[in-house]
Amino acid sequence: MHRRLKSPGNRIFAVVVAVLSAAGPSAAAPETLRISGSTTLTPIAAKAAERFRKRHRGVRVFVSPTGSGAGIAAMASGTADIGMASREIDPDERKRFPKADFVVTPAARDAVVPVVSAAVYEAGVTALSLADLRRIYSGEAANWKAFGGPDAEILVIDKEASRGTRHVFMGAVFGDEKAKAPGARLVTGSNNEEQAAVSQSDAAIGMLSNAWMNERVRGLAIKTADGAVAPTLENVLSGRFPISRNLNFVTDGPPRGLAKRFIDFVLSPEGQSIVEELGYVAVAETGRDQSGKGR
Amino acid sequence: MLQWLRPAEIRAEKAAKSLLLAAGALGLAAAAAVVFFIGVESWPAWREQGAGLILGGEWSVGEGRFGALPMLAGSAVVTSVAFAAALPIGLSAAILTAEFLPARSRPLARFLLEALAGVPSVVYGLMGIAVLVPWLQRGLGLLTGRTLLTGGLVLGVMILPTLAAVAEDALRAVAREKREAGWALGLNRIETLLHCVLPEARAGIAAAGLLSLGRALGETIAVMLLVGSLDRLPNPWYDWLVPGQTLTSKLGREAVEAAVGSPQYHALAALALILLVVVAGLTLLGQRLSRVEGAAR
Repeated sequence: MHRRLKSPGNRIFAVVVAVLSAAGPSAAAPETLRISGSTTLTPIAAKAAERFRKRHRGVRVFVSPTGSGAGIAAMASGTADIGMASREIDPDERKRFPKADFVVTPAARDAVVPVVSAAVYEAGVTALSLADLRRIYSGEAANWKAFGGPDAEILVIDKEASRGTRHVFMGAVFGDEKAKAPGARLVTGSNNEEQAAVSQSDAAIGMLSNAWMNERVRGLAIKTADGAVAPTLENVLSGRFPISRNLNFVTDGPPRGLAKRFIDFVLSPEGQSIVEELGYVAVAETGRDQSGKGR
Repeated sequence: MLQWLRPAEIRAEKAAKSLLLAAGALGLAAAAAVVFFIGVESWPAWREQGAGLILGGEWSVGEGRFGALPMLAGSAVVTSVAFAAALPIGLSAAILTAEFLPARSRPLARFLLEALAGVPSVVYGLMGIAVLVPWLQRGLGLLTGRTLLTGGLVLGVMILPTLAAVAEDALRAVAREKREAGWALGLNRIETLLHCVLPEARAGIAAAGLLSLGRALGETIAVMLLVGSLDRLPNPWYDWLVPGQTLTSKLGREAVEAAVGSPQYHALAALALILLVVVAGLTLLGQRLSRVEGAAR
């Protein structure tokens, strides 16, 4: 009994060993690049990584959408090679990670746009001023009627405190990147989550990257002294739209090795054309521009 | 089949025994290390904030204020809702499979319950967003369907398998003689169940409840996606149709971002310690109850 049981067990063991040893050498070799952070930058990094992998066989690139704050923390503490940040580095972060030498490389430009549910937009609220946004997020105004909209309570959607989009939005609206929003009725994290929450409501307002609008999540123009400025690509590029920002790659010291090759690829004409395809604004010459010049 | 062990076999047996002992000790040491680590890491927060950590209503990283009351209340509410939803259904399922279904179909019932337990948490969360959130929002005319109630209801589904399985085991463990005694007295099946079986299984069912409560308290992703994640106490306290925050959803949203060693990090460790102590307490109590019952039989 004892003997007979033994042999199939041994055979299974042998197979397991064989599989492991076959997988071993190939699993150890490839170069790995870990990118983590802003969910606004994630589509760019993911698409670029896909192309980058095709050019560099055997290179592994991991892109984790964790949010700007988390990405910067991961990069500074060494669990990621590149941090993605949809904002600039905060003085507090420099204090928290005194050993890190933050080097910021802009990869694209983008606007943070106040977004509303389609129902609100269609009822006539297509532009708000920064002061209006301040009243909404501080809780002074709680009904869309005050802004020419439907008689409905405003579902004010805030974002997690560490999110880059929130820093930029609050910086523009309150003049303080860490401003509290007592008017908030809901808190979301990633762009995806925010988009879903706005589209599921017919009275919501939120903040989103310009590349994340759709028919159910509509971007508002911002009322300024010289009229309403819509978040068009031209207005983002020229800086007329008041809530614009760079989308940044952050490294510890100047980019080196694989990280440098990846960032250079994103800044190349091919990389920048990915940026434009996804609805963001390129910061360097794009492939499209160049072919236009050639003709 | 009695036979003498050869010296080699004795040696092998000794080796196996010490190996098992070492593995067991390692497991215990890991558990102790987790408690120790969280205790040490949360200490600065307790020292800084004192009772304010538990009684404070405001959590503001920028201002260095860390009050966990909204999260504590949120966890209590969400867990109560889950428990209230799961208890009648889980108990009925347990009674049905243990007492009324023919032995043949029991494995199937058990399989279905276990399949429910095998669904990943995030799937429950996403289903909640796609189905329950719009449904509650429209049905009850709410500003948003992401509420304490939503999180609690989905959590109720998630703890159902634990509750039903442990309660079923408790019912099945009741000796056959108890039922036979009931039948001998001329009681029908329901009466036997109510007067002979359930009282006997009481401690085991309570254990099922406590274990599933522990599970409900510790669940993260699904709750995080559904509860609204607003650090605010429901006002009035019984209005659970508003967004809130639980201990786990707070940890899930902030833990990756907190820099190791920052006040926020220590405060989050304190939340983790509270969670750990409560869950460990419930689990220990649950296990003790099921053991007491086992010993009494």
